[in-house]
Amino acid sequence: MRAKSQWLLAQLCATFLLLGGYLDASAQDEQALAYYRQAKINWRQAEGQSLTIGLNKHPFTESLLPLIPEFRRLTGINVEYLILPENEYFTKLVADLSQQRGEFSVIMTGPMRNWQYVPPDWIIPLDDFLNNPKLTDRDWFKLEDFYPALIAANRWNGKTGGGVGEGPLYSIPVLEESYILAYRKDIFEQYNIKVPATIEEMAEAARLVKKNAGIAGIVARGTPTIGTVATGFISGLKGYTDGKWSELDDKLAANLHDARSVKYTEAWVGMVRESGPPNWANMQWYDAMEAFTAGQGGMIADADFFAANYEDPKKSKVAGKVGYALIPAGPDGSPHSGLWTWALGISKATKNKEAAWLFVQWATAQPTLLNATIGYRNYNPSRASISSDPRVHEVMAAWGGGSYLKTVAKNLETARVAWVPQPERTRLGDIWARALHEVYFQRMPAADALKKASGEVDKVLKEAGIK
Amino acid sequence: MTSTRRRRGRRDRYLPYLLLAPALILLAGMLYPFGLGLYYSFTSYWLQYPNRFRFVWFDNYIDLLGEPLFLRALEFTLGFTLLAVLLQVGLGLAVALFLHARIPGRSAIRALMLMPLMIPPVITALMWKIMMASTNAGILNHLFSFVGVDPINWFGSTQGAIVSVLIIDTWGNLPFVALILLGGLQAIPTEPYEAARVDGAGPIAMLRYVTLPLLSPFIVLAVTFRAMDSLRIFDVIYATTAGGPNDATTNLQIMAYQYSFQWYQMGKGMAQAVVLLLLVVMVSYLLMRLWNRASESTQ
Repeated sequence: MRAKSQWLLAQLCATFLLLGGYLDASAQDEQALAYYRQAKINWRQAEGQSLTIGLNKHPFTESLLPLIPEFRRLTGINVEYLILPENEYFTKLVADLSQQRGEFSVIMTGPMRNWQYVPPDWIIPLDDFLNNPKLTDRDWFKLEDFYPALIAANRWNGKTGGGVGEGPLYSIPVLEESYILAYRKDIFEQYNIKVPATIEEMAEAARLVKKNAGIAGIVARGTPTIGTVATGFISGLKGYTDGKWSELDDKLAANLHDARSVKYTEAWVGMVRESGPPNWANMQWYDAMEAFTAGQGGMIADADFFAANYEDPKKSKVAGKVGYALIPAGPDGSPHSGLWTWALGISKATKNKEAAWLFVQWATAQPTLLNATIGYRNYNPSRASISSDPRVHEVMAAWGGGSYLKTVAKNLETARVAWVPQPERTRLGDIWARALHEVYFQRMPAADALKKASGEVDKVLKEAGIK
Repeated sequence: MTSTRRRRGRRDRYLPYLLLAPALILLAGMLYPFGLGLYYSFTSYWLQYPNRFRFVWFDNYIDLLGEPLFLRALEFTLGFTLLAVLLQVGLGLAVALFLHARIPGRSAIRALMLMPLMIPPVITALMWKIMMASTNAGILNHLFSFVGVDPINWFGSTQGAIVSVLIIDTWGNLPFVALILLGGLQAIPTEPYEAARVDGAGPIAMLRYVTLPLLSPFIVLAVTFRAMDSLRIFDVIYATTAGGPNDATTNLQIMAYQYSFQWYQMGKGMAQAVVLLLLVVMVSYLLMRLWNRASESTQ
């Protein structure tokens, strides 16, 4: 009898404990959703609908996945997702969009990618959703919290050759990427090397680092694909020409062989040949970033947010030893950095457009993006409020002894999408990077290689019906 | 009674089709993508511009002839195949002869030798890419440094990249070739060797006049398999050099991939794939004829 009553008591205690745990978890869930519930919209208006999200493998993606159950609880919308490495992701995405299958409702895109998707009418403008009070509480969402340059980059009027920053908004940015120079402050100070302000000084600094410190003076992307020209290289070239040169002229004729471009290419490729790593021609972005992080390079002109890697003492040999500066500019001295944002857009073929917008709104809301930055190092924030959040600011302010934040702020004053809008930008970039290989391997002088590349670009644009 | 016979008659009539159905479905499953690819090779299919889709007859094939990269890719495809087959069959023969000899631990060595076959080619390629880092951080260059060899620029130079791809492909496929040739060696009867020994033949003469002629059908078989695979090699190149640097390792397969999935020009990409297919069919047809002749001569 006594044993039975003890058993009953134990059962009762266990039940209370379990119930307590459940209530506690439930309270935590409610707390997590509290901010979203402040929005004056009905989050459950698309309850029961389903979405498939197409995602590129990225820290932002990693930050999103654990939160998706919260989105389900908030909205009652069922979410599935497919994550692929970048190249495979874009191929799969184009296959889906071109056949209008609507497999992906929400897609991970960005300004230059939108130039491929807007002309054939594959993605839809988001302005109607933003301006619909039933779907968006603008006071709560705070579109003005995003850096204006990033929102402008995701707007396009659809006209080939121009119109960025005008017309409809096609995607909401989830991070900011502009291009700056990171250099080994310790080595520069030790050997009295000047932080470069021109491409010639940059080549000289690279030479001195290699000579004195015995490591590559510069590490950079070098594979024969668009990445090689799309970040530090094009930003430097834009600066070198005071922002007055573009890869295509007003009539969309390729301008890669312009005399200024030839001179800059000679300087850049010469620098990489003389002072770069021997495997430059096989370096992807992550190879270059990892090489610098491992202390194998004196400088790198690439994405600003790579600093999160350089400054992570757990994996970096150069944490605390890096200085940041603008990419060397031209005669007028002002930077002309390129700009990229990963961003979320909506496929035209999706049946559940409202549900898709609710997802985009939730995924780009302040606390979702703040969590991505704090928990998953999704730098640099696309919202000003996240950059100024004390937890984020404290981390970023320490990088480069404060030079990082100052450099990025200065860079963003003039950073803009570096390319002329047209759907064959990737192909153009690949052709351009191949020309750099011709120069690097001394198969052709820069003038001839770039002239040939211009001819190939013209041929592709004509074939695609762009000009 | 009549109706039962009629039922049985109907069953007998349909039974062969029923039994053939799985094979026919399989055949259709294989032919459909092939037919579709062939059809696309005659069109201007460009994923990004679905509205510009039209039948262009042989335009894609004619364009290929004027494409300098195509000629370079064709040259690399054939050159690489020749080198890979020579290297892999030569080394495979040496390994097979070694394993055929009565050496201690032969079974363990045979089992260990099969390991590369169990690793997916992409993993093999990535593993080697790490080992072949161009600085001394790569294990290979680190080991070479002990014997005073300067760091080798494996993937960053055009020649280095070709050699690297060749090494990786050989490492992954050598066991396969060795296995075929070892099987062949074990199938050779002992009598010809005994007769040669009586005639006073030494080991070299026995290899030249007994082993190689009797092994020739197996050698041709190994050459056929390796030639077909080397013509179509993709994963190792894509994972290590992606066709670079300076297009030095771009073969027809990589080029077809770039056109189809990097630039979305399906029509052109498919035309390149069809050219590659024709090449593979042609080479394998010639080798199969050689195999038939070799088999007949050893019987």
